[in-house]
Amino acid sequence: MTVPRVLLVCWAALATLSVCTVVLAQAGATWLLSIAILLVAVGKAWLITDGFMEMRHAPRLWRRLMLSWALVVASVVGLTLILFR
Amino acid sequence: MSTSAESTGVTRRHLPGDLAMWFFILAELSVFAILILTFAVTQALKPQMFSESRLLLNTSTGLAMTLSLLTAGLFAALAQEQVRRSRSRHGAVFLLMALLAASVYVVLKLTEYRHLLASGLGMEHNTFFTLYWILTGFHFLHVVLGMVILGWLAERCRRGLYDANTRSGFESGVLYWHMVDLIWVMLFPLVYVLS
Repeated sequence: MTVPRVLLVCWAALATLSVCTVVLAQAGATWLLSIAILLVAVGKAWLITDGFMEMRHAPRLWRRLMLSWALVVASVVGLTLILFR
Repeated sequence: MSTSAESTGVTRRHLPGDLAMWFFILAELSVFAILILTFAVTQALKPQMFSESRLLLNTSTGLAMTLSLLTAGLFAALAQEQVRRSRSRHGAVFLLMALLAASVYVVLKLTEYRHLLASGLGMEHNTFFTLYWILTGFHFLHVVLGMVILGWLAERCRRGLYDANTRSGFESGVLYWHMVDLIWVMLFPLVYVLS
């Protein structure tokens, strides 16, 4: 797949996931839906990191550092939702 | 058509841009992580206030801002690909399109800020709005700086100062923009959506 096509696929996936976030929010206000919304956010962050920032070709340590940022942030936010519910 | 690892079969791992930019990005991400976690913990302590205050924000506007930033990110990445093919002036056109898309975010955000201020929902209204203004305001400043960088890159592209061999500075500038996108995709659900 050519680079422009990869980028377009990433953008389409990001736009779709963004709409999914709003749809999930409108489906209700349970903690399970909140976790699903956070997972979608992590997916979007990974698409930007690997797709737009091209970390899929970067040294593994840097790639893991960048991918783990969204995962750690979402995990802690998710924990606050679960622990304080 | 492509110069990417996908099409050329190159497997050597490469960090785009300057190493210094990556350390800068890590520092920025750390600062935003602390702000986001502060927001999340405060939300856990005052769930009622945060749920009620969040209803005063327009999720559709948040979605539109998300799409405009992501579209700007797409154009910036496409510009980078043009520069790698030594088609600097094509890159300038894509950067201008990125700036146009980013301008939509700026207009929407400023409209939202004006509406909130007119409704008396400033920084001192309650804890939610204190954190809202700090988080989104700090991000907004990053967007503006990102736009200045993209504009500067566009001008240099127009003058043909970047090509496949002198692109490191260009890549660093574009990376800054992607970092702004990356932060927003975590901010958007936290500020506008989660309950």
